[in-house]
Amino acid sequence: MSLDLTKVASQVGGMVASLKAGTDEREKRLNYALDVLRDKSIDLDLLKKKITASKGKTTWLVADLVDGLDQHYKAPPNPEEFTVLATDGSNIDVDRHKSTRCYLINIGAAILHYGACPSAALDSFPSLYSGDEDMVIMPVGVRGREQPIEGALLGIKRGVDECHRLAELAAELPQGSSSLALLDGSLILWGLEAYPEFVTEALLTQGFLSYLDDIRKLNSDKRLALASYISFSRSTDVVNVLRLALCPHDPADCDRYCPTNEKRDCDAVAGVRDRELFVNILGQGERSAIFISQSSIVRNRYGEHRVYFFYLKLDDEIARVEIPQWVATDESRLNLVHTLVLDQCQRGQGYPVALSEAHEQAVVTGADRENFWQLVESSLVDEHLPSLSSAKSQSKRTRWV
Amino acid sequence: MAELADRVGEVIEASTTGFVAQCYELYQSPPLGSLVKTRDLPVELYGIVYNATTTSLEPGRRPIARGKDEASEEEIYRSSPQLLKLLRSEFSTLVVGHKDDDKLYHYLPPKPARIHGFVYLCPPEEVKEFSQSFDFLNILINAHLPVSLDELIAASLRQMCQAYEDRHSFLVAAGKELAILLSGDFNQLKAILGRIKG
Repeated sequence: MSLDLTKVASQVGGMVASLKAGTDEREKRLNYALDVLRDKSIDLDLLKKKITASKGKTTWLVADLVDGLDQHYKAPPNPEEFTVLATDGSNIDVDRHKSTRCYLINIGAAILHYGACPSAALDSFPSLYSGDEDMVIMPVGVRGREQPIEGALLGIKRGVDECHRLAELAAELPQGSSSLALLDGSLILWGLEAYPEFVTEALLTQGFLSYLDDIRKLNSDKRLALASYISFSRSTDVVNVLRLALCPHDPADCDRYCPTNEKRDCDAVAGVRDRELFVNILGQGERSAIFISQSSIVRNRYGEHRVYFFYLKLDDEIARVEIPQWVATDESRLNLVHTLVLDQCQRGQGYPVALSEAHEQAVVTGADRENFWQLVESSLVDEHLPSLSSAKSQSKRTRWV
Repeated sequence: MAELADRVGEVIEASTTGFVAQCYELYQSPPLGSLVKTRDLPVELYGIVYNATTTSLEPGRRPIARGKDEASEEEIYRSSPQLLKLLRSEFSTLVVGHKDDDKLYHYLPPKPARIHGFVYLCPPEEVKEFSQSFDFLNILINAHLPVSLDELIAASLRQMCQAYEDRHSFLVAAGKELAILLSGDFNQLKAILGRIKG
């Protein structure tokens, strides 16, 4: 039996009605947030000091300021010759109902060169993992503790593999070229906070950050910037700066001053998202000021790859673009990111072409999954190995009345 | 021996009566009516190109109009270089004969073409050799294809006659053969002859 939409319809109606009821209140908060953002009387130096002093004491994540709050910059012109490369990934997770424990990561890649001799290379790189050492992460030199790679952790590993492939592709770029390497989603591996230290060490320090390092080092003989692109971001890091500006306490300390759920001054801008702010601040193709992420994993781990970000106004949305410190602090590379991300979105109907093509290369459909498991099972049968699957899995495949 | 330069594609779909080949280069399909061949050694299969298409590589992704703000059609491909990788040209052929042990047969081979078999455009001397007999016309006349048979038969004869110095004599001989094969269908005969008149 498929989903009974008639039973859902009234619930959808209720959801829409409550959204509609909150529209005026949201509008009021947004306008207030914009007034605070544009308020020239705010002393940015004092605000920066307050941000530093309040670090770790607020219940919300506050961005650090670099060049202000409401600045906006036009995109510099495109270089004559440039390359944009991007990777994206997809995976088939471990299925405990199958006889074989394995997972597959498929990394899609797109290399697009623009200029006098335009060219493109699209490819995918599927990797199957089934060995004992592939299935878990273990601390170095300590036996007995292990973290199985599946579910959310597989998603994080996939992100690391995307960055690995991107670094490999970037290494093949010619000397003297101007290029942008693009990742999809955030540079901040948030999910790792839920796992033990040795998992973060293996995937972040030995993995993701080491590949970012490889990309950074390639800048010795070429201009290569790296960025990650987040469409329709739900972040509130900049709105939270406004919350801090509104907070009467210095330094702010939520647990100390506002331990209960009573109304707080900063709630006047609650619920507003950064993208809603910047859609009103930025002109077409302009980027915002740059900000620094204050998430604890970034502060404690990222070092010279500390994550900075800016917002970019496109035709239909505000995108969040994250860049490592070595890109943010180099004007030439920062400008390259701004120009080329904008250019990619203009060529790609609002979303970077290279990312969209990398995604197309990576995507694993439901039919692909079925075919993959069939291949695994038939290969087991060919070799006279037991190919058992759970009764639950069988019952889903063979439906009866 | 067919040369690399004559290689025009690769078989991606095959049946007893025909095969579909994907071109190596976009839009580089052999002309309508061309004689092409593929091998399943020791047999060589001959086919006549009856249809060509250029479509999106993936059925779910349709091309969209992109040139509104571009100065020329070339500019569209320059500003989106990935397009060349996302489209593909294919051509379909009707099998009209085969060669086994150096002997030509103008009827269907025992087995269909092999998938991934290379497809070559037949050079003039091979076209001449194949068209020494018009028996292949019978296969064309009786085929059920999505294109007009009149158009296809005329196109194949126009292509073949280019291998001959005396094109006129070749076409007259072909016309006489058609007059016999289509003795009961004057209108079709007239339509074909009208399309091969130099």
